Amino acid sequence: MMVKLEHVYKSFDQGKSFAVQDISLEVREGETVVLLGKSGCGKTTTLKMINRLIEPTKGLIEVDGRDVRTRNPVMLRRSIGYVFQGIGLFPHLTVEKNIRTSLSLLGWSKSRQKQRVQQLLDLVELAPDEYADRLPRELSGGQQQRVGVARALAGSPKYLLMDEPFGALDAITRDVLQQQLLKIQKKLGVTVVFVTHDIFEALNVASYIAVLNEGRIEQIGTKEEIVSEPKTDFVREIFAKPTGQLRRYKSLL
Amino acid sequence: MSEFLNVVIERFPEVVTRTGEHFILTGLSTLIATLLGIPLGILAYRTQRLRHLLVAIVNLFQTIPSLAMLAILLVLLGKIGIAPALIALVLYALLPIVRNTITGLNEISADINEAGKGIGMTDGQLLWRVQLPLALPVIIAGIRTAAVVCVGIATLSAFIGAGGLGQFINRGLATYNTNLVLLGAIPAAMLALVVDGCLSLAERAVEPTPFTERHKLRYRLKPAFAILPVILFVSGMLLVLIGGVGNDVSSSSSDEEITVGCKNFTEQLILGELMAQLIETHTELSVERRFNLGGTMICHNALVRGEIDVYCEYTGTALTAILKESAITDPEAAYERVARMYKKQYDLIWLKPFGFNNTYTITVRQLDAKKHNWNTISDLIPDARKLHAGFTSEFMEREDGYRGLKQVYSLAFGEISDLEASLMYKALAQSQVDVICGFATDGRIPAYNLLPLEDDKAFFPPYYAAPVVRQEILERYPEIESILARIVGRLDDVTMQQLNYKVDQGHMDIRSVARDFLRGPK
Repeated sequence: MMVKLEHVYKSFDQGKSFAVQDISLEVREGETVVLLGKSGCGKTTTLKMINRLIEPTKGLIEVDGRDVRTRNPVMLRRSIGYVFQGIGLFPHLTVEKNIRTSLSLLGWSKSRQKQRVQQLLDLVELAPDEYADRLPRELSGGQQQRVGVARALAGSPKYLLMDEPFGALDAITRDVLQQQLLKIQKKLGVTVVFVTHDIFEALNVASYIAVLNEGRIEQIGTKEEIVSEPKTDFVREIFAKPTGQLRRYKSLL
Repeated sequence: MSEFLNVVIERFPEVVTRTGEHFILTGLSTLIATLLGIPLGILAYRTQRLRHLLVAIVNLFQTIPSLAMLAILLVLLGKIGIAPALIALVLYALLPIVRNTITGLNEISADINEAGKGIGMTDGQLLWRVQLPLALPVIIAGIRTAAVVCVGIATLSAFIGAGGLGQFINRGLATYNTNLVLLGAIPAAMLALVVDGCLSLAERAVEPTPFTERHKLRYRLKPAFAILPVILFVSGMLLVLIGGVGNDVSSSSSDEEITVGCKNFTEQLILGELMAQLIETHTELSVERRFNLGGTMICHNALVRGEIDVYCEYTGTALTAILKESAITDPEAAYERVARMYKKQYDLIWLKPFGFNNTYTITVRQLDAKKHNWNTISDLIPDARKLHAGFTSEFMEREDGYRGLKQVYSLAFGEISDLEASLMYKALAQSQVDVICGFATDGRIPAYNLLPLEDDKAFFPPYYAAPVVRQEILERYPEIESILARIVGRLDDVTMQQLNYKVDQGHMDIRSVARDFLRGPK
C-alpha cells in the first residue's frame, strides 16, 4: 500500500525541455514525504501527476499498487485528499457545505454527511456550532486552510496530497497548523505527500525529504541524513543558508 | 395635465392590454435570449477559438439599428407581427447575456477551478456546483441589461404590427398627439424601472452574503428576491390574460373577415378607418384593423402576402417606391400604369381614387402671397433670392423634389435649411422660413393660414390616393368595390385637409372623425 513513482518525466513543450526528469520515489503507508525545492523545480508538477491533474510524459506512477493510468481520473481524485496552495474553498458555500461537497461526490447520504462534518470540524479544532454556517470569507487564512484540510480528509482517504498548504499563512499560524497536521496524521495514519519550499516546514513534518532541483531529485532520505550527509553542493547550500541565519539569530540572544 | 388624465382614464383598458403585450414581447424575448445566451456563453468560455467568433457575431447584431433590424427580418420572414419582433429582440438581448456569462465564468479564480477538479468533480459538476453559481450575479446583471434594452426596443415593434406600448407612441407621433406619446412612453419607462429593480434585487440575492442578526430579515428574504423576476414574469402573463390580448395582434383571419391596413401617419389612419367603417356598415363582414404599419414597403409586402387585404396607396408612391419607375406627371396615365402593373405583377387591384392629390406643394404664408401677389410657383422666381426655404431632407434629395424643381422652374432660393416634416409648418407660420415643401392635404395648411402655390408647370407627380385590394378578396366579396366607391368624389384636397386638421390639431378621435364624415351630407 503506497505511492510509487518510477522514472517519471514531464515535458510541457513536446520534449524540448523537461519540468520533471527521471523522478523515482516511494511513499510508504503512514509516512510523510516532503518534496522540497525552489519554485519551478518541478515539485508541484510531480504532486499533480499523482492524482492525474497532470499526465506524465513518460514513466510509471502507482497508487495502491495500481498504475494510475488505468484508473478513471475523477474517481482517482475522489479517493485522494488534496489540500491546495490557494486553499480553494468555494466562496459561495458555507464551511459545512464546502466539506459536504466532497462527501456528496462520494455519494454519502445527507445524514451521514452532517455527522461527518461535525467530526471533521472537531478534528481541525473549529467549533462546529460557531463555524459550520460561515462563509469562507468570514474566516482568517488559518481557519480557511483548516477547513481545506477537513475537506481533504472528509472521505477518510488513505492518501493526502498537500501543495504548499501553509505557504500563504503567517509564521505563527503556519507552525500551529503544522503541529495540528502531525497530530491528525498520527491519529488517522494517513499517508502524505507534502510540497514546500520552506526548509523548517520540511524538517517539521517530514519522515523523508526529497530535495528537487531543476526537475531532478538531488537527494532523498530522512531529515537526519539530509542535514548531516548532504550528497550534493546544492543540498549543502540550501541547508547552509538557514544555518547561517540561525547562527546570526542566536548571536543576538 | 387634466387633459392627459382624461386620456388615461378613457384609454385605461387599452393601456393595460398594451402594457401586457409589451411585457410579453419583452419577457419572452429575454427568456429565450437567456435560454440561448447562457449555453452559448458557456460554450464560448470552454472553447477559446469559438469565443471571438461568437462575441463578434452577437456584437454585430447590436450594431444594426433597431428599425433596420426589424425591416431586415420583415423581408427575411415575410411576416408582420410578433415573430419578427421577437426575433429582433432576442438578437439584441443575446449580447449582454453571452458577454456576461463569459465574463462571469472568466472571473472565477484558477484556484477554485483547480480545487473543484482536484477534489474529483467532473466538468459538469464543476460547472453546475461551482462555476455557474459563482458567475450567477454577473449573468443576472447581463439579463438585466438585456431586459431593459428589450423594453426600449420593443416600442419599435409596433411599426410592424406587433402591438405593445409603441402603438400609442407611434399613433401619438403620427397624429402630433403628445398625450398619446406619453400614454405609451410613461408605462414603458415604468416597466423598464420595475424590470430593472426586480432583476437588481435578484442579482444581489444570489450573491453569497453572510448571515448576521442585524440583517436577519433581508437574509431570510433572499430566496424570495431571487425568484422575483419569475414572479414578475408570471404576473405579467396573468395581466395579459385578464386584459385580453388586443385583437390586432392575433394573426388568425377567419373567412368572414377583412383585414384593413394603413401606414403610420394621420391621413393613412383616417383612410384606413374610413374603409373599415364602410365595410363594417355595408356588409356582414367583420373587420380587423392592422393600422400603423411602419412604411410603404411594410404595407405592400403585407398586402402581397395576404396579411392585410386592403390599404390605401398613392399613385406617385406606387410608381416610384414599389414599381421603381420614374414619375409620370399626367394623373390618369400614372393611375393606369400602376393599376396595370399591380394586376400583372402582384394580383392586386387599384380601385377608384378617392379624389384628393396628396402631392408636394410649394407652400407660403397667405399674407405674403397677398402682398407679393404670388399664385403659382413661377410667381416666386423674381423674389426667390430673398427667400429662406425649409425643406425635408427627403425633398432635398429626391428627383421629384428640389433637384428637379430647381431645373424646371429655374428657381434658386437665398437660403435653404433641412427641416423635420413635423416642424416645417410651424416654422413657416412663425416666419422662421418663407417657403416649405408641404403636403397638399396637411391639416396645418388651413390651420396656420398657409397657401399651397399652384404647380403651373405640372412638375410634381400626382399622388392620388386609392384603395388597393387583393384580387382574391375582390372576387370573393365583389361588393367591396362599390362600397369603397361611396366616398369617391367627396374627398378633395380641402376636405382631406380638414379631416387631418381635426385629428392633428383638434385631437379628435379618429373613429369619430371618420364616423362623422361618413354620416355627413353626400
